[in-house]
Amino acid sequence: MADPKLDLLQGTLDLMVLQTLAALGPLHGYGIARRIEQVSGNELLLNQGTIYASLVRLQQRGWISGEWGTSDNNRKAKFYSITKRGRKQLTEDAAYWQRLSMVMNRVLMMPGEEDKP
Amino acid sequence: MNSWLRRSLLRFVSFFRHVPLDQDLDAEMASHLDLSIEENLKLGLTPAEARRQALLHLGGLEQTKEIVRDTRSIRFLGTLLQDIRFGFRLLRKNPGFASVAVLALALGIGANTAIYSIVYATLLAPMPYPQPKQLVMVWSKVQGNRNVVAAGDYLDWKRENNAFQALGAWSEESLNLGTASRPERVQAAMVTPGFSSMMGDPLFLGRDFLPEEGEVGKDHVAILTYRLWMDRFGGDPTIVGRTVPMNGEPYTIVGVNNPGVSDRGRDKLSVPLAFKPEQINHDFHWLYVMGRLKPGVTIAEANADMDAVTRHIAEVYPKSDKGWGASVEPLKNDFLGRDIIRALWLLLGAVGFVLLIACANVANVLLARATTRRKEVAVRASLGASRGQVFRQFLAESLVLASIGGIAGIALAWVLLKVIIATMPPFTLPYEADVRLNAPVLLFTLAATALAGLLFGCAPAWQSSRLNLNDVLKEGGQSTLGAGRHGLRRTLVVAEFALALSLLTGGGIALHSLWNVEHVDLGFRTDHLLTFFLPVPAGQLTDPEQVNAFYRQLLDRIAALPGVSAASASTGMPLLGTNFGMPFQIAGKTNDDPSKRPVAGFTMVTPEFFQTFGIRMDQGRSLTDQDLAGGLPVAVVNETFVKRYFAGVDPLRQRIIVEQLTPGVTKLGPPVEWQIVGVYQDVRNGGPKGQGFPEIDVPFWQSPWPAAGIALRSSVDPATLSKSISDIVLSMNPDLPLAEVKTMDQIRDESMAGDRFAALLFGGFAGMALLLAALGIYGVMSFAVAQRTHEIGMRMALGAGQGRVLALILREGMILALLGLVLGLGGAYLVGRAMHSLFYDVGVIDFTAFSAVAAILLASALLACYVPALRAANVDPMIALRYE
Repeated sequence: MADPKLDLLQGTLDLMVLQTLAALGPLHGYGIARRIEQVSGNELLLNQGTIYASLVRLQQRGWISGEWGTSDNNRKAKFYSITKRGRKQLTEDAAYWQRLSMVMNRVLMMPGEEDKP
Repeated sequence: MNSWLRRSLLRFVSFFRHVPLDQDLDAEMASHLDLSIEENLKLGLTPAEARRQALLHLGGLEQTKEIVRDTRSIRFLGTLLQDIRFGFRLLRKNPGFASVAVLALALGIGANTAIYSIVYATLLAPMPYPQPKQLVMVWSKVQGNRNVVAAGDYLDWKRENNAFQALGAWSEESLNLGTASRPERVQAAMVTPGFSSMMGDPLFLGRDFLPEEGEVGKDHVAILTYRLWMDRFGGDPTIVGRTVPMNGEPYTIVGVNNPGVSDRGRDKLSVPLAFKPEQINHDFHWLYVMGRLKPGVTIAEANADMDAVTRHIAEVYPKSDKGWGASVEPLKNDFLGRDIIRALWLLLGAVGFVLLIACANVANVLLARATTRRKEVAVRASLGASRGQVFRQFLAESLVLASIGGIAGIALAWVLLKVIIATMPPFTLPYEADVRLNAPVLLFTLAATALAGLLFGCAPAWQSSRLNLNDVLKEGGQSTLGAGRHGLRRTLVVAEFALALSLLTGGGIALHSLWNVEHVDLGFRTDHLLTFFLPVPAGQLTDPEQVNAFYRQLLDRIAALPGVSAASASTGMPLLGTNFGMPFQIAGKTNDDPSKRPVAGFTMVTPEFFQTFGIRMDQGRSLTDQDLAGGLPVAVVNETFVKRYFAGVDPLRQRIIVEQLTPGVTKLGPPVEWQIVGVYQDVRNGGPKGQGFPEIDVPFWQSPWPAAGIALRSSVDPATLSKSISDIVLSMNPDLPLAEVKTMDQIRDESMAGDRFAALLFGGFAGMALLLAALGIYGVMSFAVAQRTHEIGMRMALGAGQGRVLALILREGMILALLGLVLGLGGAYLVGRAMHSLFYDVGVIDFTAFSAVAAILLASALLACYVPALRAANVDPMIALRYE
C-alpha cells in the first residue's frame, strides 16, 4: 500500500476552498472537494463532508456566497463563489501560509550535529 | 457591517431558522450524492456500490449534517435546544406520565405562587408611599400596653416634639350620607388637615384639607375615596365643589383620593378632625396618631424624644397623665397581628412542603422512566455520548417538564388567589397590601420552578449518567432489576410520607381548632336572635333623658311585634365586643396612681339584656326595671371579674368606682360608685376564642348612651322581622339608618370566618400533600409490580397463592408508608410546636389531630398500594414467565 494519507491541519481547509474558488470561479461543494483531492494528487485524506462545514464558516464570515444553480449535466446544485472580501482575505492568508511554510522549511532543513563539516 | 456582528447575527438567525436551513442542507447533500454517484457509475461501479462509495467518501450523511449544524449554530445553545426538543418529544410520547407530572408540579408551584404573592404584598413589599420608613404610629403607653391617644396629649406632642416633620391624628365615625330618599351609613375617617401630604399620597382630584378646615365651623368639607366616588357619584369629574348632605348638614367635596390603598380600607370618605374645646382633655383616649420622622431620625431617637415629651406632660397634668408614656412604632404592619404574620410564614412553609412532595413525586416517576431507558442511555454512551452529555440531556428534559408545570402553576395560582381572596375575612390584610401576580412574584415562581426542575431532575440525571455500560448491555432484553436499584425511589417515597405527615398534622391542628371553636360554650344562645345597630350621629340625642325616652319607646314597639319575646338595648354585643374598656377601682382599695388602675369591659345594658341573650346568673340578681336613673347605681359583673378581683370576699357586698360616661361628650365625668348586685356566667364577648376578660354591666337607664345595639329574641325566623323593625325606626326618626341587621347565628358564623379560612388553607394544602403522597406510593408500587411480573409469575408457578402475592406487595408498600410516618413524627412535632399557639385549644402534640391524620395517611397508602397489589395477584403465571 501507498503511504498513509495526510491529515488536514486545522484551518487549512478554509484556505484551500477559498483558493479553489478564486482560481476556478463558481463551483458546487462536490466540485470543490473533487478539485482539492485532484490537486493534492490524492495525498489528502478528505472527508468530503467537512467541506460543507468549511463552506458554512466561510459564508458566515462573508468571504464566499452561495446560490442554487444548474450544473453542466443539468443537475441542481448550490454554487459558491468568492466575494471581494474573500479575495482580500485569501491574499492575506496565502501570504501568511507562504511565510510560515518557508520558515518551516528552513527549520526542517537545519543541519544536524553529524552533518556538520 | 462589522464582521463579528454580522457573524453573530447570521448565527442567531440560523438558530431560529433551523427548519428552512435544514431543508437547504438536505437538498445540498442530495445534490452532492447525486454528483458523486454519477461519477462512480462512470467508473463502472454497480449502482449500489456507487452509492455506498459516495456516502463513504462524504463521511456519512447524518454525520455531515450534524457537523454543519454544529458549525452553523451557536454551539451550546444549539445542543441545549436539541436536548430540549428531545425532551418535548419524549413528553409527547408519554402523555400520561407528562400530565401527572405537570399536574403535581402545577399544584406545588401554583400554591407557592399564590401564597407568596400574599406574603410579598403584606410583609415584603415596601409601602406605596415615598420614604415609607419615615412613617410611624405613635401610641400612648400605659402599664406597658399601647393605647389610643387623648386629644390634649396629641396636641401637646405635636407642639413639644423634636422628632417629627408632621404628626397627624385620626378617628373613625359613621356618617349618614344623605341621598334623595334614604340615608346610608358610611364609615368615615376624621383626619387632621395635612394628612395626605404627610403620607406623601397626593389626591386624585382636588386638594387636601386646609389648616383652617380643622376648626369647628369650617369643617364641613369631605374627601371621597376613589371607590365611593365611582360607586356613588359615577366618577363625576365635576365632583369637586359639589355639596352633599351628611348627618343632615351640607358638606362640600374638596377632593378624591387616589385609587388603591384607601379603597381597601373601611373608611369610605374623610372629613376634617376639628376639636371642640371640651374634647381637648387628657383623659379620654380616642385618637390614632401617625407621624413622619424628620430625615435621619431613627425610631429609637423618636422614642427617646417622646419619653421626654410625655414626662413633661405628666408633670403638667399629673392627675391624668402620670404613668402614661408613648410608643413610636414603624407604620409597616403595625396593625397586622403577630399571629397573622406568623400564620403567613407558616403557610409559605406549608406550600414549600407541598412543592417538595411534588418534586419527590416527579423525581420518582422520572427515576422509574430512567430505569426503562437504561438501554437507550447505554447505546448513546457506547456511541460516544459523554457522561456530561447524558446528564445534561436528562436535566434538560426535567427543565422542560418544570417549565410546563410552572406555566400551569401560574394559571392555577391565579385561580387559587381569586378563591383565597374571596374566602378571606375582610380587612385581614393591611390596606397597603396590594395582592397580585406582579413581577417580584413571578420572579419567585421562576426561581421555584428552576429549583424544582433541578431538584427532581438531578437524581435521574445523575443515576443515568453513571450507568455501567457493560452491565446494561449484558442484561440483554431484560429490564428486571434487583431490589437495590429501587433504593433511591423508596427513599423518596418515605420522605414524601414524612413530609405529608408533617403537613397533615398542620392541617389537622387547624381543623381540630375550628371544631373546638365551633363547639365553644359561648355563654348565651345564638338562635332566634336578630341584632342591629343604631349609629346615632354625634350631636343628636345628647340629653340623657331624651336618649332614654327614645330607646324605651323603640324597645316597647319592637317587643310588641308578633313573635318577639324580648328586646334589649346595649352598648356592646356578645361576640362583637364590649365597646368600652374602663379603668376602675374597688371601693376601699383606692390607689394613688390612676394610671395603675385595672381595666374592665364596660357595657350599658337594658334589664332585658340577660333574658334576651339567655345569659345565666351565677349569684345575686339580674338588673331590673327598678334600677333607674336617680336610683342607687348598681352593676353586675362576670365570673372572671369575681375570680380576679373578689377572691375570698362576697362580691355582692362590693362597690366599684368608674368615671361617668356622658352622652355626646368625649370627656369622662365624675366617678360613680356602682353597687354590685349580681354575677353572671362568662359570655364570649371578644369572639368565640375571647375568654377571661373581666366585665362590668350597668343599667342603660342609669348611664345612657346615644348609639346602641338592639337585640330581639323571637319565636319565628328572626330574619323575617327586619322589615318591620326598619319601619319602626324610620317612623321614629327618618334620618336614622339601620346598620348591620344580622341574626346572631350569622354573627357567630362571621366570627369564625378567620378560623374557617385558616382551616381551609392549611387543610387544603394538607389535602394536596396527601394526594401527592398517595400518588407517589401508587406510582412506585405499580412500577415495582410491573418490573417484577416475571418474579411474581415464578412465585405463583411455584405455588404462592393470590393472597400471598397480595400480602407481599401490600407489605412492601406499607413498610414504606410506616417508615415515612415514623420519620415524620419529628416534623409533626415541630409543626405542632410552631402552630399550636396560633390555634384554639390544641396541644403541641395534638393527639386528636395527630391520630386522625396518621390514620388517614395510612388508609390512603393502603388504598394506593392495593391497586397494584391486586394487579400482581391477578398475574397469570404462564404469561408472566414468558414476559421478557
